[in-house]
Amino acid sequence: MPIFYTCKKCRKNYSKNQYDKRVFCRICGSLLLSQFVIDSEIKNGLKENLNWTKKSFKKNLQLIHKESFFLDRAAHNLNNKIKNRKEYFVFSQKETQKKPDVKEKEQYLFNCEYEDALKLKRKLIKQFEKKTLDQAIPGKILSNKLGEYYSIESISESDFKKINEKKCKKILISDLKLLQRIGPKREFHLKKNGFTTIEDLIRHPLWKKSAFDFMNLLDKKQIGELQSYLWKSLPKSHPYIHYLAGLCKIEDFAIVDIETLGLSERPIILMGIAQIKKNGIYTNQFLLRDIPDEPSAIWAFVSCLKKECSLISYNGRSFDIPYVQQRLAYYGLNGSINNPHFDLLHFSRRALGSKLNNCRLETVEKYLDIGRGVNVPGALVPDFYQTYLETGNVGPLVAIVEHNKQDLVTLATLFSRLYEEWEI
Amino acid sequence: MIEKFICQLQSDRSYKNQIVFKKIFFSQKPCFGKLDFPLSPNIKEYLFEHNIHLFNHQADGINQIRKGKNIVLVTPTSSGKTLTFNIPVFEALQNDKKTTALYLYPTKALTNDQLKVIRDMEEQTGIFANSNIYDGDTPKHLRPNIRNKSKIILSNPYGIHHYLPWHYKWKPFLQNLKYLIIDEAHVYRGVFGSNVAMLIRRLIRICEYYGSNPKIIVSSATIANPKDHATKLTGKDFEVISKDGSPKGKKTFIFWNPPYIDDTKSARRSTHQETKDLLVQNIMGKLQTLCFTTSRQMAELVTRWTREELYRKSPLLSKTVASYRAGYLPRERREIEDKLKTKKLIGVVSTNALELGINIGTLDSVLMSGYPGSIISTWQQAGRAGRNSRESLVALIAFQNPLDQYFMKHPIDFFERIHEQAIVDLHNPYITLGHIMCASSELPINENDKLYFPELFQQSLKSLEEQKLVRKTPRGYVYVGLARPTDAVNLKSISHKNVSVFYKGEILETLSLNKAYDEAYQGAVLLHQAETYIVEELNLTRLVANVRKEDVNYHTVSKKTVDVTIANTYEEKKLESIIGLGEVTITESYNEYVMKTYDEIIGRKPLELPPLTFSTVGLWILIPERILENLNGGGFNLAGGLHAVEHAMIALSPLFAMCDRRDVGGLSTVMHPDTGCSTIFIYDGFEGGIGISETLYSKISQLLIKTFNLIKSCECVDGCPSCIFSPRCGNENEPLDKNAAILILESLTKQLNDNELTRKTN
Repeated sequence: MPIFYTCKKCRKNYSKNQYDKRVFCRICGSLLLSQFVIDSEIKNGLKENLNWTKKSFKKNLQLIHKESFFLDRAAHNLNNKIKNRKEYFVFSQKETQKKPDVKEKEQYLFNCEYEDALKLKRKLIKQFEKKTLDQAIPGKILSNKLGEYYSIESISESDFKKINEKKCKKILISDLKLLQRIGPKREFHLKKNGFTTIEDLIRHPLWKKSAFDFMNLLDKKQIGELQSYLWKSLPKSHPYIHYLAGLCKIEDFAIVDIETLGLSERPIILMGIAQIKKNGIYTNQFLLRDIPDEPSAIWAFVSCLKKECSLISYNGRSFDIPYVQQRLAYYGLNGSINNPHFDLLHFSRRALGSKLNNCRLETVEKYLDIGRGVNVPGALVPDFYQTYLETGNVGPLVAIVEHNKQDLVTLATLFSRLYEEWEI
Repeated sequence: MIEKFICQLQSDRSYKNQIVFKKIFFSQKPCFGKLDFPLSPNIKEYLFEHNIHLFNHQADGINQIRKGKNIVLVTPTSSGKTLTFNIPVFEALQNDKKTTALYLYPTKALTNDQLKVIRDMEEQTGIFANSNIYDGDTPKHLRPNIRNKSKIILSNPYGIHHYLPWHYKWKPFLQNLKYLIIDEAHVYRGVFGSNVAMLIRRLIRICEYYGSNPKIIVSSATIANPKDHATKLTGKDFEVISKDGSPKGKKTFIFWNPPYIDDTKSARRSTHQETKDLLVQNIMGKLQTLCFTTSRQMAELVTRWTREELYRKSPLLSKTVASYRAGYLPRERREIEDKLKTKKLIGVVSTNALELGINIGTLDSVLMSGYPGSIISTWQQAGRAGRNSRESLVALIAFQNPLDQYFMKHPIDFFERIHEQAIVDLHNPYITLGHIMCASSELPINENDKLYFPELFQQSLKSLEEQKLVRKTPRGYVYVGLARPTDAVNLKSISHKNVSVFYKGEILETLSLNKAYDEAYQGAVLLHQAETYIVEELNLTRLVANVRKEDVNYHTVSKKTVDVTIANTYEEKKLESIIGLGEVTITESYNEYVMKTYDEIIGRKPLELPPLTFSTVGLWILIPERILENLNGGGFNLAGGLHAVEHAMIALSPLFAMCDRRDVGGLSTVMHPDTGCSTIFIYDGFEGGIGISETLYSKISQLLIKTFNLIKSCECVDGCPSCIFSPRCGNENEPLDKNAAILILESLTKQLNDNELTRKTN
């Protein structure tokens, strides 16, 4: 029974229903005060208010009563407004039909996916009734300076590949156009005159400075700076930028994906990070058992991102990383993420965009023939987590954690497979 | 020169004693001020080059700002308010390169205009601020650079509302924020003003989080309560600078009443035609004139008619007239502004879009086609004429409606009226709740935040928590709702959907969906720069309208009908009748449009558009059968009576609910399907409700009594704008029956009056 009102004398609690019937205590007859009045008024030193008598208080009480009632209703209406602004659309079309008429950024799913997901949720809730979190999702409660969080580790098989360093360098230095102010025509003349690589240009009187700077970045494996450099002349989706991964050690890749309660300004509920090791792909997920875990979980996640890491993500450049930074700032935590970043969405659009209806990760998976077990559509993750928060049933969490892990593994595969798609 | 022009008007053949009143404001010499300590050489030189001597209000303002005071500036249009805060901002920039300043304007057009002024000042003083606009139109790729490098950023409240959750990206700017400038602050009143007041508190909360404590400079048109308004808007204390030291030219203000068309004195000549004639005469008399109209369509039509008439006299002159309104592309607006400044345009017909401080140079004459609706607006518009010390003319051309006619009959009353108050309500639960929710998505909310939201703080958090919109954590309340909080809180009741109008594959203009239903449906004549375009298609999924150019001699007006249904009853009480409060659904259907040539209807056509619906909170009054029986047989119009009561109640709602009249909507019907009897509805004009109806409901007996007294004591015969005529009525104020309204209200308030009386005698 939720408690809303308390008798100031005998401390007996009443529910809202009881309060609505009688505004005075059943036992001693004194005025009932809502909890917030007691909380706030005591704190504000307005203790004399507690000595209100039936008569002198009738007026004040009415005022407070009316006000809180008014507010409750306003809050209710506000909540309806929020509910009407779901951040995804459900379409009744079949999947085979053309892309629905939605704007680029809007999330959507088809009716059948939506129904399946709801079925899955019901199934999971039944399956995990009365199970604890640890039973459903084996993991550990860890803590850091900010508090506790739930950590889930696992190993999956992986066929992660990247191009080797030599090949990467070879491809890059033989394209003179990467230097600024060198176009196809100039490149043609330079190559004719024996300057076949950027390395050769170090001997060229005019280009030696920029060639030297470029080679310097390449030798020092400054992936981030090289990326920014290449963006000046190439689109973000250009294969060269993907080739830069050749400069990164395989164990320095960090595949990242986060699950959130919405598209922005809401808690991140799960952060996944995957690393490639000899016997497979190690995933480490940081889960919020409840909202208060958020700062500690984010801190644990950010601490995993070492300076030498190169990130791999799907739309992480405009979603996941800014989101994490927004939440860091929200909690007043210092820390910025400036790692080199391979955002596979850009590459997939270029390589596969013309072959697919859309570039949602699920669609790309189907094309690459990567299967998925239990799955919840990304758009419904907030809904699943809210159900967990409201009911305490861990079933929906199982689907979220699995979804996130699967995304990480898929990204590893996609990263490798994209090399096969480039034609140079 | 003006005197001569008026004489000319009066001696014209067509003159029929339209000038019913003339008031002359004599010229005024400038009054200069002195700074407490001198300006830096660069700024001095800048002033010298522009031949500027600081007036006393400017010097006072600068002195106060230098002392670290928040100031509110309330001197008239064109008195040099902008310079008063630009000088201290530039001075601060010169002293500390890291300093930043944020300028907030209510419209994008103003931002564009002011950017030019600031950039010129940068150039000429050599103090570089890299000033930029940052709003919805700013391309995404330019944004990071502006945030990180610009020292002066110009924006609007709508933008800030959405940027605040991303404050980490603004950290360098916000932590060095020294000045926050809120220009045209009188616009922030009613529900909009209350929303902006909460927004400013959210902004200050974030600034203080990053360790800055910006000084606030508020500038406003003349209002009755500048200090109180600035304090309510920002929560800070202010010094008022209101003593205007700028020079004034002689100004002649005339009241122009269109003549009766015949001796029966039943109808006057069309105000629009009179406006057109007067504008033509102004232009022929070589007076550069700005003419204000009360609607977008009228601005276009008056321009069109003026051009036609001028063309007959001088084809060349007809090209010197243009129209100006919201919806034009920025490029187009800028062109008109520039042409006005360079005197390439002699006449411009505008909506109130030019009422705010856009710099268009000196004008000789201002025509107001109809009373602009408030004293504040009237003086703002009148202030457009006679910048500096030039002689100028202002004419108010009356509509036939009783309010305008009232002023024509009582001109002295007009000049004695004080400016309206700007009302801001800090105790509105809907608004407070919405912004506390937004704030909880910017930083977790803890007890200290009561400083920023002193009213309803704890209670709001409690209610939000119960609705599972925020969750309590050791670090404070954290937002967890299922949608972006800033999307659910609108500062103004405007729809977010905008329709783009395409002509030959290029954007002609953009307008809100509601406006498109009014002006850009299939078959409509859309007027743009006084050219007629026919709308071929309005695509509601893609929000696009396609038009073709066709010269037609008619314009179109769509007719909408509004339906209200009760979705959910919150509570009811029984006074003389049953009065209810609850959730209502408003459906606006557009079923036909009429074609008009001048004021004459030449045709009607059906319209097929899906209705627009929204849900809000409203109150309803059921009129009992026995009251209606009294009306039987007396030759009364029942529908007219209900309609009149509704109008008068809405007119009085600002008195009770601290809102603007425009924030409220209403509907009355003889037989409502949900209630089974005659019903009057009054509802909030905001999706989801904004607390106005709830306040009105709680004060319903007082509202009814006041309404009764208003109508009963009004001296008019069949109603007037001071009682039952509404300038916003969708049914052209028909039907209305004042006597029926008096009877209805008399029965509704009979017992209430008695109660009131007994209470008083007690």
